[in-house]
Amino acid sequence: MTENVALLRTTTEPVPRKKNLSEKNIKKSPYDTAIKVKSAIPRKRQDLLKWYGWGYKDSMFKLKDQVATFTGTRYLIGGKSLPHFVQWVREKFDVDISKPPKIPPTPTVYPESRLPKEVREELEKVTLVSVDGMDRLIRAHGQTLNDMTHLRNNSFQRVPDAVIWPESHEQVQQIVNCATKYKFVLIPFGGGTSVSGSITCPAHETRPIVALDTSDMNSILWLDREQLLARVQAGIVGQDLEREMRARGFTVGHEPDSYEFSTLGGWVATRASGMKKNTYGNIEDLIVQTKVVTPKGVIEKSCCVPRMSCGPDWEHIVMGSEGCLGVVTEVTLKIRPLPSIVRYGSLVFPDWESGFHFEREVARQRLQPSSIRLMDNEQFRFGHALKMETSWGGVLLDGLKKLYITKIKGFDPLKLCVVTLLMEGNLEQVTERETQLNNIAARFGGIPGGAKNGEIGYTLTFVIAYIRDLALEYNIVAESFETSVPWERTLTLCRNTKRRVITECRKRNVTHYLISCRLTQTYDAGCCIYFYFGFNSAGCADALRTYEEIEEAARDEIIACGGSISHHHGVGKLRKKWYTQTVSETGRRLLFAAKQALDPDNIFALANMELDRGLVSKL
Amino acid sequence: MENKIEFKDILLPRDTHFGIVKFMTRSWSPKKTLNLDKEYLPQDIKDLVLKSTYLDSILDAECVRNGVSKHQLRKEVVNYVEEIAMDKRMHVIRWMGVFFLKVSFMMKIGIFVNEPAVLKLKETMGENPVLFLPTHRSYADFCLMTYLCYHYDIELPAVAAGMDFYTMAVVGQMMRETGAFYMRRTLAGAPLYSATLRHYVRTLVGHYGAPVEFFLEGTRSRSNKSLSPKYGMLAMTLLPYFAREVDDITIVPVNISYDRVMEQSLFAYEHLGVPKPKETTGGLIKALHTLNDNFGDIYINLGSPMSIKEYLGHPELSAETLKPRDLQKLTDEQMTHVQKLADHVVTLQQDCTVVTITNLLCIVLMDSLYRNKVLCLQEVESQIGWLIKVLRSLGANVFERDVKSGIERVLTVHRSMMRLDKEKRLRLVSSALMNMTNDVQRKMKGHILKAETMVNAVPIIQVQLYINPVLHYCVPSALVYLIASRGNILKAELYTEYTLFRKLLKHEFFHLEGIEEANFNKALEYCVHNGVLSSSGDVLANRSGDKLHNRSGDELHFLLQWAVIPALTTLFACAEVMRECKKCEHKRALKRVQEITELRKCHPYCLSLDAISNCLQGLVHAEALLKYKVKNDMIYEVVPAVMDRCHHLISSIIPKLRLVFDDSNPVIVHQKQRARL
Repeated sequence: MTENVALLRTTTEPVPRKKNLSEKNIKKSPYDTAIKVKSAIPRKRQDLLKWYGWGYKDSMFKLKDQVATFTGTRYLIGGKSLPHFVQWVREKFDVDISKPPKIPPTPTVYPESRLPKEVREELEKVTLVSVDGMDRLIRAHGQTLNDMTHLRNNSFQRVPDAVIWPESHEQVQQIVNCATKYKFVLIPFGGGTSVSGSITCPAHETRPIVALDTSDMNSILWLDREQLLARVQAGIVGQDLEREMRARGFTVGHEPDSYEFSTLGGWVATRASGMKKNTYGNIEDLIVQTKVVTPKGVIEKSCCVPRMSCGPDWEHIVMGSEGCLGVVTEVTLKIRPLPSIVRYGSLVFPDWESGFHFEREVARQRLQPSSIRLMDNEQFRFGHALKMETSWGGVLLDGLKKLYITKIKGFDPLKLCVVTLLMEGNLEQVTERETQLNNIAARFGGIPGGAKNGEIGYTLTFVIAYIRDLALEYNIVAESFETSVPWERTLTLCRNTKRRVITECRKRNVTHYLISCRLTQTYDAGCCIYFYFGFNSAGCADALRTYEEIEEAARDEIIACGGSISHHHGVGKLRKKWYTQTVSETGRRLLFAAKQALDPDNIFALANMELDRGLVSKL
Repeated sequence: MENKIEFKDILLPRDTHFGIVKFMTRSWSPKKTLNLDKEYLPQDIKDLVLKSTYLDSILDAECVRNGVSKHQLRKEVVNYVEEIAMDKRMHVIRWMGVFFLKVSFMMKIGIFVNEPAVLKLKETMGENPVLFLPTHRSYADFCLMTYLCYHYDIELPAVAAGMDFYTMAVVGQMMRETGAFYMRRTLAGAPLYSATLRHYVRTLVGHYGAPVEFFLEGTRSRSNKSLSPKYGMLAMTLLPYFAREVDDITIVPVNISYDRVMEQSLFAYEHLGVPKPKETTGGLIKALHTLNDNFGDIYINLGSPMSIKEYLGHPELSAETLKPRDLQKLTDEQMTHVQKLADHVVTLQQDCTVVTITNLLCIVLMDSLYRNKVLCLQEVESQIGWLIKVLRSLGANVFERDVKSGIERVLTVHRSMMRLDKEKRLRLVSSALMNMTNDVQRKMKGHILKAETMVNAVPIIQVQLYINPVLHYCVPSALVYLIASRGNILKAELYTEYTLFRKLLKHEFFHLEGIEEANFNKALEYCVHNGVLSSSGDVLANRSGDKLHNRSGDELHFLLQWAVIPALTTLFACAEVMRECKKCEHKRALKRVQEITELRKCHPYCLSLDAISNCLQGLVHAEALLKYKVKNDMIYEVVPAVMDRCHHLISSIIPKLRLVFDDSNPVIVHQKQRARL
C-alpha cells in the first residue's frame, strides 16, 4: 500500500531567459500562466540515454560470473543480483553466456547532412538547429527490432539531415511554412519509442529531412483545478507531465509502458493506451482539445467541450495520424486528483483459461480496477527468473507460498497463471473492490497471491524493455506485438498464434525460442493481448529477416482469428500490409483525401499506413 | 443637440433645520446594478478573487519563474487584495455624508444634476454592470458621484482611487469603507500585483451590485480640458463582457463642471512648474479652512447610457474561449476595440460639457485682455448674451438661469481672480508678487521664471483654465478660419492643412481622428454660414475685407482668431526650439520653450509645461520629431524636412495681434501686498 501523502517536490526550476535566440522571437505569449518544465530528459538525449538501445545509460542487465544484475538505481531491481535469471536464459535460449557480449562501437562516420545552407539559416532564425551526426542518428528511428539492427550496424539508408527544437506553437507554424517554401521533409520526433517504424526515416526520400524534436515544447500552459483540466504543450515527456501533476496533487493517469520517454504528442499521434486506462481512459478519452499545425493551416476545434455532435470528429483524424498530417502542438487534457491509496494485488489461477474467464467476468461486471492483467505461464516463469535475491525470511515465505499453491491447492507450476492488480481510490473503495475481485476469483479457482507479487509485476513492466538489449548482445532477437480481440475469440487467437509461431520457428530450424502472451486490457467488447516472442538466432543467416517473417505470419494468424492490426502500437510501416483490409479500400481513400487536404506536398513524408501507395499512384 | 437641460440642485433640500442629520440617518435601501441569485458582499468579492483559478495559475507560474514558494506568494497576493479591495460600512457612509454636507454648506456650493437622466438610468438598472466614467478635474470628483448615488438611492459606486489616498491616514480607510478601491499607477514590473488587480476589478464588475466608477483620463486634468484616455482600467472592467460573464455593460459618461475648481491656483502653479504638494491628512485638515469661501456651483451632467453590446456588437469567437473563463484575456483585436471605445467615451464626456457663466465670463475677460480694452458691466452682459448664441450654434449646452445674477454670483466666487472696479468695469486681478524662496526654486520643474512673470501669468492661466473646457467647440472652426484667412485656398488643400494642424494639436485638443472629415465640414459650413469665410466654388477666403460685416461678424472674427492663440504660439515656440537644438531631451526642451516664451512676453498660457509637452507630443505625432528613450531620458530629434514644413505652416497662420500681458494692459489691476508661496 502506498499512500500519496507526501507530495513529490516539483523539479520545475527558475528558467533563465535565453537571451539571443528567443529575444527576436519574443512575441507576447497568449499564456501568462505558462510553466516551463525542466525535463528529466536533456536536449542531448545521448548524454542520459543509450544511443544503441532502450532507456537510460546507467540501467541495463549485466551478466558477470554467471550471475545477472541490473545496474543503476532507477528501478526496484536496480543494483540487485538476480540469481534465477542465468539458469532461465540458458534453459530457454541455450546461449553461451561465457562469451563476451556484442556491444556496438560508437559510430565515427555519419551520413552527410543534405540540408542546404540557406534553409539552415532560415531555420536558425526560428529555432535551435543541429546537424551533429549523433543528434541526427538517434532521431532516425524508433524501437523496432528493425531499427535496432540498423542502429547497431550503423546501416540506416537515411537519417535526418538536421534536428530542430521549436518551443511553441507559433514557432512550429513558422517551421512548417518554411518546409513548404523550401520543400524539405519534417518528421515530428517525440520520445522515439515508436514500435511500428512510424518515425523511421523513409529510406528513399530525396528531399532534405528535418527531425522536429518536440521536447522543448513542454510547458504547462495552464491548469484549472476546478475543472480538472490542463493545457499542455505536446512535447512534454510522460514522466515530466506526471511528476509535475503529482507535485500539484493531480495525475493524468496515462501510463503506457514507454511513459518515461514517450511524449504527449506521440500518444496522440499513435492513439496510445495507458496501463491505468480503466480509471483514466485511453488517450482519446483524456483529450478534450488538440491544436495541430498542418502545412495547410492549424486544425483545432473552437471550443473546449466534453462532447459535441458536429459531423465527424476531426480530432480523430489527428489521433493516430502517426506524424503524417502535421504536428500536435498543444493539448487540453483531463486531470484527476491523486488517489489517496494505491494498492497492488495478485491472484493465482491454475491455468490460462480460468484466468481468462475471471478477466471476462470482471469486465462483464465492469469491476476493473485501474489495471488488471493476466500473464501466461511462460511469463510467470520469466517473472520468477527476475526475482531478486531476498533474505532467508523472504525465501522461507516464498517457499511456504509455493508449497501452498503447488501442493495444497494442487496447481501445476508449468500451467499456473497470475493476475496482477493495481487498485486506486480511497481506503473504503479499494478494500471493497479487492473483496469483490477475490470473490470472483474464487469462482474461477483463483487464490490471492499477495501484494508484493503484484507490485513486482508492475515494476517489471518498465524493466522488461531493457532485456532486449542484453538479448541482442547474445544473438537473441526479441520483440513484442499486440492486438485487440473480441472476448469470444480471445482464447483461440492466443492458442493459434502461439501455435503458428512455433510452427514457423520449426520450419526455419529455430530450436530455442520463447512465445508468451498476456492479457493487458479489458473492455466491454473484448481485450488486448500482448505477445512476447524471442529466439536464439545463432543459426540464422539473417536474424532480422527470420524474425520479421515469423512476426508477419503471426499477424496473419491474428487477423484470421478476428484480432486487429494493433491495439495501441499503431500501424507505422511495419503493419501497413494489413491497413487497407482493416479500414477497407474506401477507408484508405478517405485517409488519402485527408492527406491531400492537409499535406498535399507530403511535407510529413513518413509514409505510414500505406500513405506511400496513394502518393505513388498519383505520381 | 439639446440646449435646454433640466438641472436640479440636490443640496438645496438639505438646507433646512436638521436637514443634514435627517437625511443621513434615513433608512436607505439602494437600487443595485446587478440582481444575481446570490448577492456578493465586498468580502465575497475578495474571497472569489483569492480562490480563483486565474490567480492560482499565476501563482504556480510565478513560483516556477522566480523560485519563491507558492505559500509565500499567496501571502503576497492576500496583501495585495487587502490593499486593493473596497468595502462598505454603513455607519462610515453616514458619517462621511454628514461631513460632506457640512463642508458643502461651508463652501456654499450647489450640486446641479440633470435629474431626469439619473432617474431614467436608475430605472434600467438591475440587468447588467454599470460603469460611471466621469471627467476628472478635481479631487472633489471622488465624492460627487457617491453622494449623488446616496441621494438617488443607488448602490454607492466602487471608485478606483490612486495610492495617494491609500497612504493618507484615516481618510484612506474611510474612503475604502465608502467604496473606494485602490490601484497603483504603474503595473510594469509587478506581474503578481497586476494580475491581482486585474482579477479583482474583473470580479468586482462581474459580481458586485454597484456601479464601478473610474476616471478614464487617469488623473486630474490640470488644464480643464479632456486628456487622452488610459486604456488599462477600461480593458479590465470590460473583460467580463468579452468573456461573456455578463451579457452587457452599460457605460455612463459623466461630465462634472465646476464654477470654481478648488485646486485652481495649485493647478496654475503646476502649469508653471511649481510641483504639487503631497496629499496628506494633515494637509487636508489645513486646507479645510480655505474651504470656508464661495465655490459656486457644480454641474453633474450624465450622458446617455451606452450599451457596449450595441456599440461593439456581440463579441466574436476567439482562441481565448479555449481557456478556462477565468484565464481569458483580451485579444489584440478586442484591445483595439477597447481603445476606440475609450476615445469615443472621452468625446461623449466632452459632449456633456455644461457651459456656465464662469466659462462665459472668463471668455469675455480674456477677449478684453486680447483687445487691451476694459469692458463695462453692460458690455460684459451683452457679450455674454452673444457668446451664448455663438456657443449654442456650435453645439454647446449652456446652462444659464439668469445672466445678470449669474455674473454677480461668479464675481463673488472668483473675486480673487477678477472684479469690477469703481466704474463697474471688469478687471483681472493680478496675483500678489511672490517671494520665490530658494526652496521653491529648487523644486521647480522647468525654467526658473521671474516673480514678475508669475504675477500676471498665474491669474491669466486661471482664466484660461475656465476657457479651456469650451475650446473644443471652437477649435475646428478657428483652425479652418485661420488657414483660410491666409489667402484664397482650395477646399481640398484647406482640409489637408487642417488635418495636419489637428495632428499637431492632437494632445492639446483631444479629438477622434476617425471623424475629422465630418468635423471639418461642419466647421467650414459654420464659418461660411456665419459669414466669416466666403466660398465661391471650391475656393475659400476670409470675408473681413467685405463691407457687409456687422458687429457680430467682427466679434466672431476676433474670437476665432484668439481661441487657438495660446496653443499655436506654444506649438510655434516648440518648433523653433527644436529646430534650434536639433536633438534634445524632454526636460531641456520644456525649459527652453518656457525661457523664450517668457522673454518674448507671449501669452502666459504658453509657459504651461502641460501645453508645451502636448505640443512636443503633437510634433512627434506629425512626424516632425522622433522620440526615443536613452536610459531614463526621453529624447526628441528633429526630422528636418517635416519640421521645416510644420514650422512654416504654423507661423503662417498665427494671428498677428499685438498682445500685451503685462501691467500695461489696462484690464489688469494690481494687488499690492506681497505673498509667499
